Amino acid sequence: MNELSRAQIRDLMAQVVQHQGRVLPDDDSADLREIGFRSLDFSELALRVEDATGEELNFDAPGLRRIATVGDVLDFLAELQRQ
Amino acid sequence: MSESALVPPSTMVLVSGGSRGLGLAIVTDLLDAGLTVAAFARTVTPELEKLAAEHPDRVHVGAVDVTDLSAAQGFVRAVEARFGPIDGLVNNAAVGQDSMHTHTATADIARIVETNLTAPLQLTRLVIRRMLGQGRRGRVVNVTSICAQRGFPGLVAYSATKGGMDAATRSLARELGGRMLVNAVAPGFFASEMSAVLGSTQLDQIVRRTPTGHLTEPAEVVPVVRMLLREHTNINGQVIVVDGAASI
Repeated sequence: MNELSRAQIRDLMAQVVQHQGRVLPDDDSADLREIGFRSLDFSELALRVEDATGEELNFDAPGLRRIATVGDVLDFLAELQRQ
Repeated sequence: MSESALVPPSTMVLVSGGSRGLGLAIVTDLLDAGLTVAAFARTVTPELEKLAAEHPDRVHVGAVDVTDLSAAQGFVRAVEARFGPIDGLVNNAAVGQDSMHTHTATADIARIVETNLTAPLQLTRLVIRRMLGQGRRGRVVNVTSICAQRGFPGLVAYSATKGGMDAATRSLARELGGRMLVNAVAPGFFASEMSAVLGSTQLDQIVRRTPTGHLTEPAEVVPVVRMLLREHTNINGQVIVVDGAASI
């Protein structure tokens, strides 16, 4: 499996945010609500990671509800690739 | 209307998914009402075992996966050999969902459809074939969900199966021409069990929108199930929502 690094996932996340006319903060502790990153944005990011790796990323909702910061998003997707 | 045209109250009821939650509450309530009950679930819980021990002459329990049709057939035969013909069926067994459709594995979608839609249709077919073959009348109650009528994120496949069962309820009621009463009960979200699929924020929103001010409890659903199995109401092919008016 072609696993993406945390930095590569961050680049993809920046693209998703930029596509909506915003800028992804450098700080991993940035609050997702403040940058308007919603669940469907997370879904879009996960699908971009899928496209890049060629592997489906399936997951349940409870894990998503714990995600509050940019770092949480990156950690979640990095970990999901290893499962 | 002649008395003979009425579908008599059920006396021997099969409940799928009767080991916990609403299913266990239905089994308990029907036993309290004096009925004979057969209940199966993937796992027979200590609570269901306890009921069987307390009512050895009126309860038959077994570990059956509702998707295993041959096991379900064997269970039905064993029940009928022990207690006589089944004249009531409660399709309660179901699996929940907690994932966006986009990120739900295809195998999980298939499993939800098989468990929540295909299996109850097969079990219903099995039971009503035996009722009709014996010239009996009977009643079927499908436990569906408010998800069949209103949209909730994270529950796409689950909602599709419950909507399918609502539709099957109407068609089956027509098809059976009054020889059997077929209805559905659609609870709102429970405070436990399936409600794990919604976050606390969503549950709080539902409570705020509910005129009765609280989420549905199993104890509020079981009297409706019992009524559909026992009372002469002429209710047939209907879906009765039990959600405190949250959805209207």
